[in-house]
Amino acid sequence: MKKFLTIIGIIIIFFIIYFLQSNFFTWFTIAGIMPNLFVIFILTIGLFIGKKLGFVFGLLFGIYLDLLVGKSIGISGIMLGLIGLVGEYLDKTFSKDSRITIMLIVATSTAVYEIGIYAFQIIKWGGIIEILPFIKILLIEIIFNVIITIILYPLIQKAGYGAENLFKNKTILTRYF
Amino acid sequence: MYKNKKTGVIGIIITIIILILVVILSNTNIQEISYIENIFNSIVMPIQNGITYLKNKIEGNDSFFTDIDQLRAENEDLKQKNSELEQSLRELEIIKSENETLKEYVNLKDKYPEYETIPAYIINRDINNFTKTIVINAGEKDGIKPNMTVIEDQGLVGFVLSTTENTAKIQTIIDTSTSVSSVLNSSRETIIVNGTLEDNSTLKATYIPTNATLVENDSVETSGLGGIYPKGIHIGTIKQIVDTKNITDRYAYIETAVDFEKLETVLVILNEPVE
Repeated sequence: MKKFLTIIGIIIIFFIIYFLQSNFFTWFTIAGIMPNLFVIFILTIGLFIGKKLGFVFGLLFGIYLDLLVGKSIGISGIMLGLIGLVGEYLDKTFSKDSRITIMLIVATSTAVYEIGIYAFQIIKWGGIIEILPFIKILLIEIIFNVIITIILYPLIQKAGYGAENLFKNKTILTRYF
Repeated sequence: MYKNKKTGVIGIIITIIILILVVILSNTNIQEISYIENIFNSIVMPIQNGITYLKNKIEGNDSFFTDIDQLRAENEDLKQKNSELEQSLRELEIIKSENETLKEYVNLKDKYPEYETIPAYIINRDINNFTKTIVINAGEKDGIKPNMTVIEDQGLVGFVLSTTENTAKIQTIIDTSTSVSSVLNSSRETIIVNGTLEDNSTLKATYIPTNATLVENDSVETSGLGGIYPKGIHIGTIKQIVDTKNITDRYAYIETAVDFEKLETVLVILNEPVE
């Protein structure tokens, strides 16, 4: 029951993030560049809850986003699903208690996601490849995402550990050993 | 002397200040320092007013209490009227904004009379930094089909990428994967215009013929080739010409006529232009 409610909660948070991203962050930008909250969100699910839910939610949310505003259906789904999937492996390798680690993971994921999206766009739709403007946009976006992660870190950690205990059946003791 | 040197100096300074003050005050007309009067007045007058008010109230205290009921009723009445007025004000504001939008539509339609168009609002923008698609609030129901041209008061916006019942996704000309076949207004040379990642108002013109003469501020419009955009729709003006070593590689930056940052309403061209 609690798991079910958490899943409903995740879906509601997704919609909140969607409205934030498509309204608030279209004018609250750094030099016209928006952050990508979905990467942070799916990464959090992957890191704390696990690869299965991370992948499924990433895929579904990505496809939904593509249907709403995207040019081609599926690529956001695949990339977000990938991030959700990799989350669990990152969890096993790195500590989630370190703010720096989380920031680095967010930065890398954002870079991987955007490079994937851009590469796919060039392959499918053509157009001029502009390396320098792309890197500029990517860097600003990464910085924006990292700043948001720093601000939201306590929230992410609290909600994340709550969900982790629920889904991975980890007792609170295991964290002390 | 018991006074030391320091106190002596202070005494002298104080004396000089008093002297100067006396000189100033004695030579000043009373009218010129009325602001000081004002300050003192403003300190005293509220208290004075309060005391006078209290005195008057005590003198006629019987009428004070009987008036309360009347005042209460009056207050209620005024509140009611106020809310009614606020309501009508809100209605007026809605009508005003509607009127502005409709006026905009009329202007838009007048500008391109040869096309049958339908107006639409932009309801969503792309959430990705690398693609520039927009979603409008008109769809299949209104007769919109993929590949139809979308314009605005100032010029070309893009084309319809896909449609649903009530919405349509539009790929704008500033999207990096959009190419528009266009002509230079002065020389009628054909060029290809692409979107760039640089910013939301710059396009890049490539495939410029080697013998073409490029002039800054020359206007660029659609050529009608390629099967999507009708001929003669304004795109923008040439902002900067970049010459490269090889003349076949030269390119130019074009400033879009449409301000994509502030774009709110668009027109979708439903038919082919009437020849």
